[in-house]
Amino acid sequence: MRGPVAFAAIALAATVLVAPLGATAATQTSGTLPRGGVYILHSDPGVAQAAIELWFRAPAAGYGNDTIGVSQVAAAACATAPLVSGRTLVDLVHLLGGRFTINVYPDMVSIATTVPAQSAGRVVAAMTAAYFSPSLNAASLKTAQRDAAVLAVERKYSPDLLLHDALLAQLFTGGPAHYAPLPAGSEQTAKLTLDAVSQYAKRAFRSSNAILTLAGNIGQSETAMVTDGAAGAADPPIDSQVASDPQNVSMSGAVGGIGLGWTGPAIADSKAATAMDFINDYLFREDTGIVQRDLLRSGIDASVSGQFITLHNPGVMIVTISGDSAEVARGRVLDALAALARPLDQQTFAAAQQAFLYHIASDAQTPQSMADNLGWYAAQGDAQYAPGDSSQTYVGLAKTLDANYVAQIAQRYLRSAVVVRAVVPSKGSGT
Amino acid sequence: MRLPALATAALTALLSTAAPPAQASAALPAPALTRSAGGVTIVTQSDNTAALSGVALFVPAGLDRQGLAQNGLAALTAESILRTPVAGTVTLEDAIQARGGSISFDVDAHDVRFYIEGTSASEPALLSLFESALGHPQFTPAILSASRERLGRRIAANQQIALRVGMEMLDRQFFGEPNVGMPELGTPISLAQFVASDAQQFYARAYRRHGVVISAAGDLSVLSAGTLGALAAALPAGTSPPVVIKIPALHGTSRQLITHRDISAPWLIAQYRAPAVDSRDFGAMLVLGALIDRTLADVADVPKLVSRSLTESAIGTIYNFDARPANIVVYVDGGIGDPSRTFGTTLAVIKVISSTKLQGSIEPFKAAAAGEFIDDTTSLADRAWLAGVFAQQGGSSDYLNATLAEIAAVTPDDLRRVARLYLGNPTFAVVLPREGA
Repeated sequence: MRGPVAFAAIALAATVLVAPLGATAATQTSGTLPRGGVYILHSDPGVAQAAIELWFRAPAAGYGNDTIGVSQVAAAACATAPLVSGRTLVDLVHLLGGRFTINVYPDMVSIATTVPAQSAGRVVAAMTAAYFSPSLNAASLKTAQRDAAVLAVERKYSPDLLLHDALLAQLFTGGPAHYAPLPAGSEQTAKLTLDAVSQYAKRAFRSSNAILTLAGNIGQSETAMVTDGAAGAADPPIDSQVASDPQNVSMSGAVGGIGLGWTGPAIADSKAATAMDFINDYLFREDTGIVQRDLLRSGIDASVSGQFITLHNPGVMIVTISGDSAEVARGRVLDALAALARPLDQQTFAAAQQAFLYHIASDAQTPQSMADNLGWYAAQGDAQYAPGDSSQTYVGLAKTLDANYVAQIAQRYLRSAVVVRAVVPSKGSGT
Repeated sequence: MRLPALATAALTALLSTAAPPAQASAALPAPALTRSAGGVTIVTQSDNTAALSGVALFVPAGLDRQGLAQNGLAALTAESILRTPVAGTVTLEDAIQARGGSISFDVDAHDVRFYIEGTSASEPALLSLFESALGHPQFTPAILSASRERLGRRIAANQQIALRVGMEMLDRQFFGEPNVGMPELGTPISLAQFVASDAQQFYARAYRRHGVVISAAGDLSVLSAGTLGALAAALPAGTSPPVVIKIPALHGTSRQLITHRDISAPWLIAQYRAPAVDSRDFGAMLVLGALIDRTLADVADVPKLVSRSLTESAIGTIYNFDARPANIVVYVDGGIGDPSRTFGTTLAVIKVISSTKLQGSIEPFKAAAAGEFIDDTTSLADRAWLAGVFAQQGGSSDYLNATLAEIAAVTPDDLRRVARLYLGNPTFAVVLPREGA
């Protein structure tokens, strides 16, 4: 079943699924919200916290891809606009002892909160009111614009994010993935008008376009706390135009580094996508990845970060490298990838697969990580493929991987990387 | 504005925040605790909704078991256990990873704490491997060399973190015994001096059963009491007494420690005494910590960001309630705003709290304290660690319900009393950029 179809199927009616981990495993429920949109609930009474997240398919640079940063500004403005109570969503979450985060991606936005479990219902009501029925004002816009300006500066000084944006710009010629989620400076977001941001918020954050993920000590009754919204159809996952011949590029930046990128399988090719995750885990996972260990053993002064980003179509593999010996590390990364084109020996593969299965479970053990996990895959069009989903589809695929298949996937997708180099201009160069 | 006036204004603004209605928190099952006659404590938190199991083993083989010339020996011994071969030539750490799990360790003032986590099905096998290495560690030159190398990398990484550098400096003077205040992992120079017999002797003396705490969390359906008890049984019976070293206290007028590192801006850190987890003042100190956090944020001129930002980690407090004696540190990264003003105002606010009955609601700070505490109880590693710390320090192992109840009961008078009792005479650490950095 392809992603969007699968998602539509789970949205039709509430169904209770029980993970096949044993009789006492956590329960998952999914269904439609009272006034449009869908929810996925992972109920875990063993913790004292609840994670509540709203996910929307929404282009970060606007529906015409001409207003970079609008999704960030709109999401922040909704969170800082007064609700009926007079209090903003952000203030309420903080007053209840919770945390609030906005995560903007090229093609989607997530609004994430964690709160003590007893406050979950209030936060569900406030979050959905703030986003499903946005009522922005000049003050909330100003706060959001300042917020975006600070985040843009932080992004500028993060080698990983800087290279990540630059790689996607080369791998895609158009569509939201071609554009950075935030502009390099504050000028563009400062020019956004209240009307434009409000219009964006009303379209992007409508209830029918929402996926509400709830995890932790929270029950089905909290989904009834949604009091706003209107029924309608969700937007489909937003794809970008793939470059047929992506070009290497060098650029000046506030920080230096090297980025390597490849387009990979779509989420619909779930076994191949899982194999890409396996490759990333085996090579690049912090502390345990063989490339990471090789760099440490060899005393190479470089930081390497890898990720396969599961997207609707296509997915993307990104490796970013920074540090004084980045060029040496790049060689080690490419050598390791080339070696994977040959099947691993049985013992090595078996050990890597066991480690991968553990990491899948470990990465979804907190309420927040579970809500993130469920939300991302649902927004990309295949909720059941989420590693945390109770169907265990992902885990099942991970168990079916073998060394030959992984080698085939490495050969198919990871042969030729697009390379981005960020160079810090030397003092006095005038650039 | 002069500092006291600014402090009063800051405090007034903080306390004028409207309080959210109080909500009762649902109680979670308390961890089960058993103490054996042999001095072994076992705490279990069974959560059958978890896909993983995690086991923390506290062994009283921490910094206070080292002599003054043994800085780093506790860490070197623990690291060598991870590198002991358990399956042919495969080290314990690699064997555990290959079977779907992880192992790590930390050294603190009194204990070395191992943590082993894995899928529920694999955990018994992982613990069996650990039991083997724990009971029969190898300290060959090759293992020691590899252990030193890895510890050296961890030490170098820690030295890049200004806050950690400052806290290590403060700890050296905070703890009455000089060995307890030593750097947790030692230094590259101290580690270089140890040979196999040093590690063997340390292990033989310090790795004893009495005082061991085993704390398990997650899906424990496949772990029997015998499996957990076998970990302690891998160690010989008996007690390992701490090495007691007393040196005359330095009496000076200055309580300020200064060092330089390759950082871009100075860091200011203050350390105070703080109540232990079994103290009646524990809840109040958690609330004070939340109040100080808010004060720092309000006076730091940090933009109040909606989104999570790097600035969040630039100011704050760390309550080291697992340390004995416990302490709390207040820190400011000079990379944001005017650190002297932020730091000075915050310390002035602390003085005001200790001398004035607070007017206004403290409910937001109680909510923040509860939320932060809960936030640190979501992973299995955190849950196992907290239950172990609480059980070890003589209190109830029910770290969550008990702490939330204590926070809920805190009054403004409690805050004043606890602030006056603990927050009076800090020691400061200043970490400065090197010249030309």
